Amino acid sequence: MKHILVLLFSISLSSGTLYEFSNDEDEKRFNKLIEDIRCPKCTSGSLASSNAPVSEDLKNKIVEMINQNKSDEEIKLYVTSRFGVDSLYEPEFNKNTYILWFSPFIFLLLGLTAFLFRKKT
Amino acid sequence: MKILLKITVLLVPIIFILMFFFLLTEKRSYPGADYSEFQVPNFNLENLYENKIITDKDLRGDYIINVWASWCITCRVEHPYLMDLKNRRIPVVGINYKDERNNAVDWLAKYGDPYKIIIHDFKGSLALDLGVTGAPETFLVNNGKIVAHYQGEINDKIWKDVFDPIIKEKDMFR
Repeated sequence: MKHILVLLFSISLSSGTLYEFSNDEDEKRFNKLIEDIRCPKCTSGSLASSNAPVSEDLKNKIVEMINQNKSDEEIKLYVTSRFGVDSLYEPEFNKNTYILWFSPFIFLLLGLTAFLFRKKT
Repeated sequence: MKILLKITVLLVPIIFILMFFFLLTEKRSYPGADYSEFQVPNFNLENLYENKIITDKDLRGDYIINVWASWCITCRVEHPYLMDLKNRRIPVVGINYKDERNNAVDWLAKYGDPYKIIIHDFKGSLALDLGVTGAPETFLVNNGKIVAHYQGEINDKIWKDVFDPIIKEKDMFR
């Protein structure tokens, strides 16, 4: 009897996933997206780490959009147009973020130049 | 080498000063406020009182959208100010957010109803399309276009600082 109960409990735990996808690839996309997008209500948590009501709604919306064959770009655009560009952990590459992307290389170049042309004592 | 060092020493503070100058002198900036302009999203939801369907086409002209719920403590604090807006004949459209219909109706019967129309957004779908993260939140709408969004309680100070300049600029509620 005990074994049957354990078996039934295990089946109930493993049956069905929280979100429904048509294939494994879509589920992988979803898992990647919720790691890449911030929770709109938290200071710095990802959607994946958040159970806030708005995060749950946003996750459901992402599932809906994936099942409607929307691309990652379209999904990210939906999120950023509502919750701001800060919603993405990785800033987009555009004219407003060039300095952010290139400044480490500029400083590295300046440092290297200074190192190569240093006066030897 | 010395020239390069001098340039770097000069350049870094200049970049920081410029960055803060542009950030602090933005035309409009207020904590909790967002001035992005976008159309009121398409929606098809029930009225709180009568199960009658309301769509975005039913909302016209200039109005305020207020996201509220009976479970929201800050909404109770904000409520007298919304009653004041009603007395000033400013149309306020309510979005009842993730709330039980009966609780919301009882709440309004107890404290007063400041809303012209109330949309019952039980699942939070319209709120999500609006970029709402909780309650209360308020939007200023000019002819179907959202022109300001404030997260948190609105009161006389927020009205004067966030909404009034845009209302005057766009000659709204005439």
